[in-house]
Amino acid sequence: MRLELADYPVKQIRLGRTFRYQDGMLEVDGPALVEMILRDGRIVQASLAVVRPGDKVRITGIRDLVEPRVKVSGNGQVFPGILGPVEAVGDGRTHRLSGMTVVATAAYEGTVRAGLGVQRSALLDMCGPGAAASKFGALAHLVLIMKLRDGLSELDAHTAIQAAEFQVARRVAETTIGVEPSGVEVYDLSVRRPELPNVVLIQGCLTDDHHVHSGVSYYGLPIRESLSTVVHPNELLDCAMAVNATRGIGYFPITWDWQNHPLVLGLYRDHGRRVNFLGMILQRIRYETFHGKEVIAQNAAQLAVTLGAEGALVAWLGSGNAFVDVMLTVRACERRGIDTVLVTYEYGGKDGVDSPLLFYVPEANAVVSTGSRDRWLDLPEIERLVGPYERVQILSYPGAPVAEAKGQLTLDARDMVIGGVDNWGKESWVCNAY
Amino acid sequence: MSKELEKAGLPVALVSAMYPVAEQVRANRIVKGVSIPHPCGDPSLPPELDARLRREIVQTALKALGAEVKGPTLFTPNMTVSG
Repeated sequence: MRLELADYPVKQIRLGRTFRYQDGMLEVDGPALVEMILRDGRIVQASLAVVRPGDKVRITGIRDLVEPRVKVSGNGQVFPGILGPVEAVGDGRTHRLSGMTVVATAAYEGTVRAGLGVQRSALLDMCGPGAAASKFGALAHLVLIMKLRDGLSELDAHTAIQAAEFQVARRVAETTIGVEPSGVEVYDLSVRRPELPNVVLIQGCLTDDHHVHSGVSYYGLPIRESLSTVVHPNELLDCAMAVNATRGIGYFPITWDWQNHPLVLGLYRDHGRRVNFLGMILQRIRYETFHGKEVIAQNAAQLAVTLGAEGALVAWLGSGNAFVDVMLTVRACERRGIDTVLVTYEYGGKDGVDSPLLFYVPEANAVVSTGSRDRWLDLPEIERLVGPYERVQILSYPGAPVAEAKGQLTLDARDMVIGGVDNWGKESWVCNAY
Repeated sequence: MSKELEKAGLPVALVSAMYPVAEQVRANRIVKGVSIPHPCGDPSLPPELDARLRREIVQTALKALGAEVKGPTLFTPNMTVSG
């Protein structure tokens, strides 16, 4: 499997009456995109906005972000199983508009009132401390602002938001067809060097098997209770992984994160130089019994051994008891002689002095921290709002207080800021001991 | 919570499906529970078997409360309820 990813960096987005990409300038036909979105009767209002780094703007109601891509050769199309049939992807040539995203924002009340299935949305500031707290503060964004029909079920809301988002992303990426890219990266794992260590990425995924959307999907299929499986990293680059578009949460990876998985890209950079990258093991985590957690840990380690892994990076997504599955996976790998490095965010509380992790095993002897998700964040008053909400709930529980979105906001965790938690080590971090 | 209650002089039996986590925070009397959403029973069982399992777990917890322990100790209910 060999994928060429052709890069078309975007420095400026302009809302106009035509679709065009030229020298870093992306012009999109706003009315045509709105008309395309409104073809779905579940979306009753739609508009577009462009924001760029430094704008005195706060985006509200964020459900998901995606990088525009389109396949120009090879099997299938981007977002397989969602926008089109389930065709195996990861081969051929794909164009990407880098440096920008399509942001899906939507007003949606939801029908679920309590628990982990409640709809949620996040914020993004384009200036000040809020922008600095998120990797998306430095990108340009085409923001879709949607209002959904009243009373829609969670699954209807999800499919409506996601289809609009991905259709827009693919449509704007089509502006690059026939245009010379600024660079092309080749992603091919077929050649290995025997003298280099074989390394696998084990990606733990918390999924909620009892929700209509489990939180993570593969070719459009939400992953429920599942044993571990092998995913080719090129499938990520061709957008085979996606998320629940009714729940935008800072510590839960969004579609953009799967397209730009920093550990996948990092292992690819080192492939044939420092390591042989074997691929990604996708491991469903958050089993509800200790027995289940031990089995899934053992299962992922067994798969790693079968692939010939000598080293493993273990990363995860989610929160809470799913981390027990992660630590048991580290132990299971180490016991089979696979050197394992865990990549995780920390808790630690407001001041960073509480317990940083829920659970430990002595075999976890190499851990990379990607920072704390618990550190408080003060967002100053902002000049302008973009998005469906003028008032926002800072906390997610039913009846949580509502605040003016434009005003000064004190967040007691990074959960409300999209991109506010560095799940997989994209950012550079410095740790100071005092 | 169990540690704070014990500091106040009340013995505590902690029923938990995540018993290794309970051991790690050094709870003293830990009773192995069924599952995170339902530590004290199993709603997938027929009602009469579930009742037997629930009774067994509570009885194990009561036994644990009366036991002398030095540090985290795991008490395992007999989860075989069909016999």
